[in-house]
Amino acid sequence: MDHLKIAATDRSPDVDFDFEAGVFSLKGESYPEDASTVFGPIFAALDRFFSSADIRELRFDFDLIYFNSSSAKALMNMFQMMENAAGRGTKVVVNWHYAADDETMKEFGEDFSEDLENVTFNLVPSSSAA
Amino acid sequence: MSSGDSESGGGFNLFDAEERVLAAAARLQRRLTNADPDTRQGVEALTEAYSRSVREQRRLVKVSDRLQNQLANLNQELGKRRAEAEEALAQLKETQETLVQAEKLASLGALVGGVAHEINTPVGIALSCASHLADSTKRLAALFEADDIGVEDFQAYLATATDTARLIQANCERAAALIGSFKQVAVDRTSSERRNFELAGYIAETLSSLSPKLRQNGHKVVIDCPAGIEMDGYPGALSQVLTNLVLNSATHGYDLGQSGTLRIAVEQPAPDQIRLVYSDDGKGIPEEYRNRVFDPFFTTRRGQGGTGLGLHILYNLVTGPMQGTVAMESESGGGTRFVLTFPRLIADKS
Ligand SMILES: Nc1ncnc2c1ncn2[C@@H]1O[C@H](COP(=O)(O)OP(=O)(O)OP(=O)(O)O)[C@@H](O)[C@H]1O
Ligand SMILES: [Mg+2]
Repeated sequence: MDHLKIAATDRSPDVDFDFEAGVFSLKGESYPEDASTVFGPIFAALDRFFSSADIRELRFDFDLIYFNSSSAKALMNMFQMMENAAGRGTKVVVNWHYAADDETMKEFGEDFSEDLENVTFNLVPSSSAA
Repeated sequence: MSSGDSESGGGFNLFDAEERVLAAAARLQRRLTNADPDTRQGVEALTEAYSRSVREQRRLVKVSDRLQNQLANLNQELGKRRAEAEEALAQLKETQETLVQAEKLASLGALVGGVAHEINTPVGIALSCASHLADSTKRLAALFEADDIGVEDFQAYLATATDTARLIQANCERAAALIGSFKQVAVDRTSSERRNFELAGYIAETLSSLSPKLRQNGHKVVIDCPAGIEMDGYPGALSQVLTNLVLNSATHGYDLGQSGTLRIAVEQPAPDQIRLVYSDDGKGIPEEYRNRVFDPFFTTRRGQGGTGLGLHILYNLVTGPMQGTVAMESESGGGTRFVLTFPRLIADKS
């Protein structure tokens, strides 16, 4: 599958999905006017990937500063997809990056991880540039 | 799309999973038409409740998205406004600097024009005297060559030569004196020495050097300055300022034969701030001149020894090396007052 790379805008995150290597990253802010323009292509690609690929190890890096409710729901859907794949035996690691002083972003990560049984979910604080 | 579930027509749907569950529930209900009523009604109620809950979720996501969107727009607007305000401020500062620069240039222009004008008079007189002397000399030489020179001719020539030489000398001295005072206008801070000094002592010293001139006219000087104020600055500038004030009072404040009291009062409104009030009880400065006294070459004694640079130099010294401000207050007939404020310790400027 082709590498999916979408540059960030001021309202949407940087997307870098290396399907070949099984390494995925979402970085930046996410509060698009229309969620489907941002998440449509992402889910189309992930759907195709999870129904076809046979990779044993996947790594997802989330490094988000801010997201709106649609984006939160979309993230939840992504985690569900990962959980399903992990249940079928794929090793999935999620790294949830957040600025060390951003309590809210940390709590979002903890919330998301509660629904995940088979995915390894790491909370990764980073010393924020401030 | 995954496992044949593409009823959303390829479009992206955030609630895809929930809709699939609802579709499955509907299929289950159809299969339950023959089950016992309790089970059927139970499943129906559950499905109904779940469907309501999904609708509620959609609504909440929409409402919340809209709020977050508004917030983002507001933030953007705020950022834009702030950038605009900052830019306006920067522009204002630039304009201000340009204005200050323009003002400096204008006063420099006035100064140069004034210098030319002032110097022109004595130099012009000296020049015409010199050419007059040259003419007379040429005439005398012609008479001498023609061997036609008389005693009267020689005596007349001597008188002319003596007169013109005196005029030339006087006017050249006047020009030199003018150039001397112009040099003070361009106050060169580095040429005068910066040091620590005690204020009251220094004021007394300056005034005592002026006392011969004051005694001549019978003026009295009262100094009211607390002892022990240690200054860091340019004492030369302060001395020049006081001298110009005192000489002005003596020159302009009183009619011949009249004497008065000159006062210097120093206060410390704050530990590092000095307020010096200079006043005399003379004639005062008429209303119409008040906003011109600091201008270069403004004088009411043109042709009688005034160049109109005294207060201009004072202004430059107070606002320049002394890093302070000066204001003039005068009531006609009620004396003249100058209020100077300046720091006790001048700031270092690189
Ligand atoms: N104490 C004073 N009382 C009355 N008039 C004053 C006094 N001080 C200044 N003036 C007025 O302000 C004018 C400007 O003063 P300034 O010291 O600048 O020039 P000047 O004394 O005329 O000439 P210069 O100081 O160059 O010899 C004076 O010509 C005079 O009219
Ligand atoms: Mg003067």
